[in-house]
Amino acid sequence: MKLHEMLRLALSRLRQGRMRAALTMLGVVIGVGSVVALVSVGKGTTVDITNRLSALGTNLLTVSPSGTAAGGSTLTVDDAIAIAQLDGVAGVAPEISTSVTVGTTVANTSTTTLVGTTADYATVRSYTVWQGTFLTIPTVELGLPVAVLGATVATDLGLGADAVGSTVTIDGLPFQVIGILQPKGGSTFNDPDNQVLVPLRAVQKSFVGGASVRTIGVSTAEASDMTTVKNAIAELLRVRHGIGASASDDFSVFDQTQLLETATSISGTLSLLLGGIASIALVVGGIGIMNIMLVSVRERTREIGIRKALGAKSRDILGQFLIEALTLSLLGGAIGVVIGLAANALIGRIAGWGFIFDPGTIVIASVFSVVVGLVFGVWPARQAARLDPVVALRYE
Amino acid sequence: MGAVRVHALRDATVTIDQGEFIAIVGQSGSGKTTMMSILGCLDRPTAGRYELDGRDVNTLSDDQLAEVRSRTIGFVFQAYDLLPRTSALENVATPLLYQGIGRRERIRRATEALERLGMGHRLTHEPTEMSGGEQQRVAVARALVTEPSVLLADEPTGNLPVQQGLEVLRLLQELHDEGRTVVMITHNPDVAAIASRQIKLLDGRIVAEEAAA
Repeated sequence: MKLHEMLRLALSRLRQGRMRAALTMLGVVIGVGSVVALVSVGKGTTVDITNRLSALGTNLLTVSPSGTAAGGSTLTVDDAIAIAQLDGVAGVAPEISTSVTVGTTVANTSTTTLVGTTADYATVRSYTVWQGTFLTIPTVELGLPVAVLGATVATDLGLGADAVGSTVTIDGLPFQVIGILQPKGGSTFNDPDNQVLVPLRAVQKSFVGGASVRTIGVSTAEASDMTTVKNAIAELLRVRHGIGASASDDFSVFDQTQLLETATSISGTLSLLLGGIASIALVVGGIGIMNIMLVSVRERTREIGIRKALGAKSRDILGQFLIEALTLSLLGGAIGVVIGLAANALIGRIAGWGFIFDPGTIVIASVFSVVVGLVFGVWPARQAARLDPVVALRYE
Repeated sequence: MGAVRVHALRDATVTIDQGEFIAIVGQSGSGKTTMMSILGCLDRPTAGRYELDGRDVNTLSDDQLAEVRSRTIGFVFQAYDLLPRTSALENVATPLLYQGIGRRERIRRATEALERLGMGHRLTHEPTEMSGGEQQRVAVARALVTEPSVLLADEPTGNLPVQQGLEVLRLLQELHDEGRTVVMITHNPDVAAIASRQIKLLDGRIVAEEAAA
């Protein structure tokens, strides 16, 4: 009997018992659907984390004071200047920050973070200017009262493209707006666009005293230099801070790629875990198919006997039942893929990473459902094929 | 099983010629059904020989037996045994499916067979939508559709009212007249009487063989 004939037979059989077929498929639908949806969630998380981390800056090393320092930061502007002299360093941006209220002449105000930094900040933290210019080396050197607004701040204050050149007040002090940044987007908890950038010295003069800085952002020229530069910075700062060989550092250097790798491997494990849990559903679905097929063979014993008497060979019967199981699992798999993709689109929308289409997952899910159909269909089909026609015909 | 060996048939030597109309008669348990299974190549004799068209059935594989059933034998069962929830047309077309014949040809020949038995108006009806007599006609059509040389009928009238039973018997007579070998199994001596030769079974032994008067 040809394959398409078997398929026709299987389909007409499934049409006869639509409800049963649907319920039998449900297990595979849920299994495949959750594999597709959950693996996509895992991938989405990975993509999301990667995007967020690279939005923080490329080839970024962050030097921060560590907890051992008593009171305030141990890092200084001079540390930053010294780091800038190291080989492989492309940009250094020391930062001081404080919370301020920004206002316009028309009395709009917004509470935001004031960051005092240098001209390298844009490169180090991957910001681009939307309107006007970024902080320039001369303005930073002189500590002029100029400000670059983050996109959120500009929106909050109701400032558009024509705001460049106007004056805003920061905690009452006038600053001239020289630029507005392109929004980066990102989490609402730590909005990278909700800040005002001013020259480092302007902050030291008017808001935060002292020479210490909160962090020093360092970007390396090449991604491959990260480790070398990181070690060089640590070495340099130990010397500068007079830390002995046995004493612990009063600073730490974070490596963006390390963070990225860790995050990626965590979300990779997460994907695997989610996929693993979902495949349990798939196996359960397969067992459901086997169960129904076994019941079906029992119920249709007489039919099998008749078919054999009419000239069906064992392999015709085997094929008929196997194709039936395969049709169930494949159809279930297809519906599962559709549902999984829909769930994926929905979750992507809610979580904000958009629709992630991963053909690999779909291929794997389809292969899985074929395998499920075969593995769990073979046994019932063999039972059917092996029936002795005489016994089967006598079966009531 | 295995512990007790039951001899359903013993010393039952029988030769059936082509074109004969045979009735195998006996009470239940007399070995009729076993005889039918062996004649119909549903089973091989555990001991002894069955030759069909000069071929020893014992030497055939399961697939070859299926092939013989498909090409040479047409079955009519007591309980009609149509495929459930399957139209008359599809039922009759099924033996052709197992001969590997294409769908269009299957439908053409099945329609022809049904029309011949006066069931042309019932093509799309399912077994539950037909009377017993109609179902048995469909079953006969199904047995004939492959143009088998042997027709095996197991209690073909068993479940039918007298009138419909007579019709089926007339049908078998007609098929015999066309030159087909018809073997009918029955416990009813009146039904057996229409055959040209009767073989009487008792406890697996042939107790009498008589030609019709």
